[in-house]
Amino acid sequence: MEKITKIYPGTVALDKVDFFLNDGEILSLLGENGAGKSTLMKILYGLTDPTSGEVYYHGEKINFRRPVDAIEKGICMVHQHFMLVPAFTVTENIIAGSEPGKNGFVDMRRARKEVRDLISQFKFNIDPDTKVENLSVGEQQRVEILKVLYRKADVIILDEPTAVLTPQEVDDLFVILRRLRAEGKSIIIITHKLKETIALADRVMILRDGKLIRDDVDPSKVSTNQLSEMMVGREVDLQERRPAKNIGDVSLHVKGLTVEEDGKKKVNNVSFDVKAGEILGIAGVEGNGQTQLIEALTGMRRVDSMELLLNGEKITGTSDRFLRAGIAHVPEDRLSMGLVKEMSIKENMILGYHREDDCCDRRGVLKRKEINDKGNRLKDQFLVKAPNVDAKIDELSGGNQQKVVIARAFSHNPKAIIIAHPTRGVDIGAMEYIHQQMIELRDKGAAILLISADLDEVKTLSDRLLIMFEGEIVSETMPGELTDIEMGLLMTGGHSMIEEE
Amino acid sequence: MIDFDTGLVISILASTLRRTVPLLLAATGGAFSMRSGVIDLGLEGMMLAGSFFSVMGAWMTGSPWIGLLFGVVFGIIFSMLHAVMHINYKVNGSISGMAVNLLAAAMTPLLLTIVYGLSGKSEIVTSFSNFDPEWLMGIPFLGPILGSQNVIFFIAMALVIISWIFMFKTTLGLRMRMVGENPHAASAVGLNVKAYKYFGVAMSGALAGLGGAYLSLGQMGMFVKDMTAGRGYIAVVINAFGRYNPFGALAGSAFFGFFDALQTIFQSVFPSQLVMMTPYVVTILVIVFGLKGGRSPAGTGKHVEE
Amino acid sequence: MRLDNLKSSKYSNMRSSVVNSFFALVFSLVLGAVFIWVTGYSPFETYKAIFGLSFSTIKGFALTLSQATPLMFTGIAFALAYKVKMINTGAEGQLYAGAMAAALVGAYVTNLPGIVHIPLALLVAFIAGGIIAGLVAIARVYTGASEIILTLMLNNVIILFTSYLANGPLKPEGSGVGQTERIADSARLMRLVPQTQLTIALLIVIAVAIIIQFMLDRTVFGYELKVTGNNRRAAEVAGINVSKISILTFALSGAIAGMGGAAMVLGVNYRFIEGFSSGYGFAGISIAALAAYSPFGVIPAAFLIGILRAGTITLSRTTSIPIEFVDVIQVLVIIFVAAPTMIRQILNIFKRITGKKKKNEIAGGEVQ
Repeated sequence: MEKITKIYPGTVALDKVDFFLNDGEILSLLGENGAGKSTLMKILYGLTDPTSGEVYYHGEKINFRRPVDAIEKGICMVHQHFMLVPAFTVTENIIAGSEPGKNGFVDMRRARKEVRDLISQFKFNIDPDTKVENLSVGEQQRVEILKVLYRKADVIILDEPTAVLTPQEVDDLFVILRRLRAEGKSIIIITHKLKETIALADRVMILRDGKLIRDDVDPSKVSTNQLSEMMVGREVDLQERRPAKNIGDVSLHVKGLTVEEDGKKKVNNVSFDVKAGEILGIAGVEGNGQTQLIEALTGMRRVDSMELLLNGEKITGTSDRFLRAGIAHVPEDRLSMGLVKEMSIKENMILGYHREDDCCDRRGVLKRKEINDKGNRLKDQFLVKAPNVDAKIDELSGGNQQKVVIARAFSHNPKAIIIAHPTRGVDIGAMEYIHQQMIELRDKGAAILLISADLDEVKTLSDRLLIMFEGEIVSETMPGELTDIEMGLLMTGGHSMIEEE
Repeated sequence: MIDFDTGLVISILASTLRRTVPLLLAATGGAFSMRSGVIDLGLEGMMLAGSFFSVMGAWMTGSPWIGLLFGVVFGIIFSMLHAVMHINYKVNGSISGMAVNLLAAAMTPLLLTIVYGLSGKSEIVTSFSNFDPEWLMGIPFLGPILGSQNVIFFIAMALVIISWIFMFKTTLGLRMRMVGENPHAASAVGLNVKAYKYFGVAMSGALAGLGGAYLSLGQMGMFVKDMTAGRGYIAVVINAFGRYNPFGALAGSAFFGFFDALQTIFQSVFPSQLVMMTPYVVTILVIVFGLKGGRSPAGTGKHVEE
Repeated sequence: MRLDNLKSSKYSNMRSSVVNSFFALVFSLVLGAVFIWVTGYSPFETYKAIFGLSFSTIKGFALTLSQATPLMFTGIAFALAYKVKMINTGAEGQLYAGAMAAALVGAYVTNLPGIVHIPLALLVAFIAGGIIAGLVAIARVYTGASEIILTLMLNNVIILFTSYLANGPLKPEGSGVGQTERIADSARLMRLVPQTQLTIALLIVIAVAIIIQFMLDRTVFGYELKVTGNNRRAAEVAGINVSKISILTFALSGAIAGMGGAAMVLGVNYRFIEGFSSGYGFAGISIAALAAYSPFGVIPAAFLIGILRAGTITLSRTTSIPIEFVDVIQVLVIIFVAAPTMIRQILNIFKRITGKKKKNEIAGGEVQ
């Protein structure tokens, strides 16, 4: 029996996508970042409306205005970022909003019994009285699933469920999902992880750039390679590469970097070198430890287990120390970390370098004329489109904002520079320009570490290419050695480069 | 000698209870506010409003009970300024809370002049008499202590218990706490986040107003300028260290109340100003050096986007 | 989508702040008038009395300025702290601390020429206020304690303690009220207009405003201060020591408030007198809000509020209208400034009403 037929959303995010789900099946909705998977599910779940198109459930046309409506019909979503109250117990989290009891009082005894029954029915193995903050991430996810089951969901949507789980927890989750399927539930998993899709799903549906590519893929009959190709499958972009000509000695040396957070190793014993005059790219899907890596390399986070040498000199301390030593930083999130949006371009242009001789005199007074000139010079040099250097940052487009950050970091003769997601949210024109600037900086002899989730960018710019997955470097190659598909595999957990066809 | 000592102890304990009540009510009110995710910095103003308007109500109608009602109602009204500014206009909760305090501090002297034509203090009204039936006074030790309280004391105790039951045993209480801890999660299960926050703030106004009413109407039968003298802020601190629940508020208020009661003894030995300093100094020490008070609800100050 | 060519300059922010403050003041006066009318008094009489004084005579004008002077100190103090997103509700206490310190130096340190004595007294007041605020800031930075509650509690402590001193050990022989010894002549601030309370303290505070504004706009410290206040995370990424900045700024805020207390002692009362401050500390919050938290803007803002406060003298002398209305109006200013969206909504309602009225004149219907 068909549960849902024909969703025709016509927004730019989704282009006339038809979607259907059967009783008792596990469907994997596959696609890259931005392919439209989350948007499609948000429509189903009532978080957003389609621009055009219809949704049917059990033959009945529906139009959910709010998630509550969807929940009432039995369609529930388990979010990627858990919606739990850490201070509450498992039971409290599950029942909040649908509590058993009468006269306004919560019947905790009945609640506990019902929760316990559910737990044993599905063999979840959790103590209903523990506080959620004391549970492991995998267990917390199970609480989210219990929330959904408690409300008698028939259709369960899971958004990137394995993103935060350890391999063991992933296996546990699969066992649970199979059990749920055996009970007749229908499950949709939004994911970009290929191996897991093959291991778990009954059917695979692939979205790419808002379009439906295939909706009938049988995972038992495909390889991860083929899935990857369908997911990524754009023409190989013949972007001209400009390999470095003047690679010098090792400039930035990192050894044994480990970062632990919440009991999990976000970065696990990472070591690498960056030579002067080269761009070392680290490719990877966001959330695999890049943020913590960057924090360690820029002095934002004190890490005891790391040796960092710049041109042979040991660097430790605060972010100020790193900046003064010549390690520049283009942060991941320009608005929250790199710019002060209430301040002007020229004021932002000196941020981090405001104590240097060209900005201020010995008594601590800012050199206004010099700052103004510098701002104008850099604005012109880096083609920042704005009426003048007094314009506020929040009046600029994303691309121009990023150009300010780049101009600032590049123009202070950095010896090494850590660049994170430089063209995220940036228009094509600015993107090309920024790439150009990076090449020029490299040719001047700087050691550049580029961290990005944009595969094209990393491929085009890097002289050497690392791939990071779950806190570890899983491959080191020259660009071109691996195909897109192989890279995609490594970024999402495929281990070997030799795949059975 | 024994009689004298017991008499002194009884008198101190009785005094402690009297000084505990306003702090207790305000702190419990603060617990409602914080538990719904709104900072409770406005308690001082709500208390002051309750202090003033309760006396005014009693003066206008001749009935202390109507006066109490006035105190509660105006406590709620003043709390609504905080609610609207913070919940609707997204003003920083500390600022909107202080706005309530400043407004009450400015309005009450003004109203003193307008309503009574007096400055500095109000007319005297009939207040509440002590709750001292024969059978109660007969109980040794406890009897005289409780007997020298008025009926509001017992109401306050009942309210503490009711508040606790509400917060931790009822559906609405659970939902309110969820709103305070994670408004996004609460919204995702269909709760009206704003409504619960308004409720939390209104309860803080009601209880703080009642506490203020006890201070003026309940004890002295009159309102004196700046009567609350910072008790609202002390209540904020008590609430934080009482882990935002009514029984914690009871313990904390009793602590401060006891200290306060001791003042009367020391008043004769030390200069009065230094003695009056003690509650504030103690509060400061508690904030700075006390173990970090219970973690405030994780969603304090957070709003849910429309 | 953002346009790159919006017509904006560095003055647009300032312009919108001024507009916001202007309407905040207007709405406060209007709401105040409503309140006055509702309680049975005449708003016209009230405002006539209040505004009449300042502009009718030189003495009246001087009175306004002298009322404004301590307000400028506390206004600058609050505005400065707010620049790093900290709320200094302790100006009242810092005022008293500074006043006591200056009174002691003024009375007990003798044989100094005025040119040394006065700055010394001011310096001591500066240090007193600064230490108090600095300690609060340290507690806030390292333990997370609320600087609001700490400063409010300290207000009470300081006021009570100085009252104790003024009624006890430091009280002059035969004095009826709580106060300290008279300060030496060499410590007195010169009058600007004879037989008024206007002293060179006005010049001093204007100088302070200029210095602080200069510090904010033109120095490295001011730059780091503003970045810290606007985006703490970005400041950390840029290597700025946000803890140090916060503590120093808050301490400076308290120091300035302390100087305000000294100004009162050295210029008006010539001694520390119990209860000398008629709410200057809290009025500073209104002033800072009205000035859109700009130290330079505090000068005109304090002048405006000073008019209101000085006007209460005429008000009490010539009418029976309670002067406490002015305190309420001051608080209304804070409320309106804090909620710009509220002001915009009210303005929109007005626009709709006046717009509709023109169209509906013929229809004669009630406009909501």
